[in-house]
Amino acid sequence: MTRRDPPDLFAPYDESAQPAVPIEGYANTFRRNPARPPIPRPYTRTARTGPLDLSPKLKPGDDNLAVIAPGRIALGQLIHVSGRVLDEDGRGVPGAVVELWQANAAGRYFNPLDTRDAPLDPNFVGNGRTLTDREGRYAFFTIKPGAYPVPDSGRWWRPPHVHVSILGPSTLSRLVTQMYFSGEPLNAHDRLLNSLPDAAARPRLLARQIPPQEVEGEWLAFSWDIVLRGRHATPPAP
Amino acid sequence: MIRPNAPLPPTAWHTIGPFFPRTFFREGDNDLTRLSAEAAPTARGEHILLRGRVLEEGGRPCVNAVLEAWQADAAGRFRHPLDPGWREADPDFLGWGRAWTDAEGAYSFRTVMPGGYADPAGPRAPHVDLAVLASGIMRRLVTTVFFPDFPDANEADPVLRAVPEGLRHLLVARPDGRSEGLRAFRFDLLLRGAPDAETPFFVD
Repeated sequence: MTRRDPPDLFAPYDESAQPAVPIEGYANTFRRNPARPPIPRPYTRTARTGPLDLSPKLKPGDDNLAVIAPGRIALGQLIHVSGRVLDEDGRGVPGAVVELWQANAAGRYFNPLDTRDAPLDPNFVGNGRTLTDREGRYAFFTIKPGAYPVPDSGRWWRPPHVHVSILGPSTLSRLVTQMYFSGEPLNAHDRLLNSLPDAAARPRLLARQIPPQEVEGEWLAFSWDIVLRGRHATPPAP
Repeated sequence: MIRPNAPLPPTAWHTIGPFFPRTFFREGDNDLTRLSAEAAPTARGEHILLRGRVLEEGGRPCVNAVLEAWQADAAGRFRHPLDPGWREADPDFLGWGRAWTDAEGAYSFRTVMPGGYADPAGPRAPHVDLAVLASGIMRRLVTTVFFPDFPDANEADPVLRAVPEGLRHLLVARPDGRSEGLRAFRFDLLLRGAPDAETPFFVD
């Protein structure tokens, strides 16, 4: 007998492991999150599918944020970040688009909207885009971002973090999140990281430092795996 | 309770924050009628404009929001193996696009009028799924745009039927004249507001 109904590939998120809003000291969380609870819906084909080859629109090939041109090296601590993009069954997700953006070593973004009085680095833009390989692995070089105070917020600081956006095999597996660094004292006070009600969900956003004696290069290395929602969610490429 | 074969828990969402790079957007990202800015437009289906504004509480523009669109091709097919008809899907149509909002909160997509299709959950009317990302939105907000051309199909749509009846009209785009030789549709999003005006969003 062949199985007629596909297994339930996607379940709604566990609310305790997702950010709770609003967040005190982050005004936009009060203005931009709906008052009405989200409406349950059937997951039809539109939600279960997604673009499998975004390369014509989102061109990959920028996985070294630390060097913007030959000889033009960003200030800061050179780091290598690598890991796997997995589905909920632990299978690697090949061909996922991974977009990254972050502040420079002084905690300032190369973005006209960041008007803080911290230096820009002429050799650092801080944006990248890459694809996962056949096993779902991704990797990039960058510099460790600086912490920065959140404006008009009553003195809280964002710890060093890297923004990550992943477009996987379905729209239900879309993920935008932030990667933090293990052992940063500011992590314990960060209002975004601590907006996850389940404390056990927070360490899953922390990259683990690989012991330097295991790193074959003059950089610090970090490892971080990302789990996209969905089971059996890795379709063959068309 | 420990379940040995329990699936891995999905990584938590976070906001894009205020500094999503403008450099990520390239010309043509909000044009679904072409695979890329350099590609020829698809010959299948009616090309339309879908445009509007994203507003936050108080009706103020939500600046620097990112909208991601996903939809079927003109015949109601997706180029994805979960669609039994995916081999016949329009090869010149990706179905995905990304737009950002300007100082007025305005966005615009050029796309193809999608086709409806039969889903196990019920007959889907032509629709475009939209996801909203912005500073302060800790998890993307997902909604669906329907079209006024298809009142009967809209009435039968299993996703639109999940919305309280008095709110369904908020998910139907309005005719907005013609621009660039195409029919235009307007779909405004109010992220937070009065119960009868706030855009209905779905469980992601």
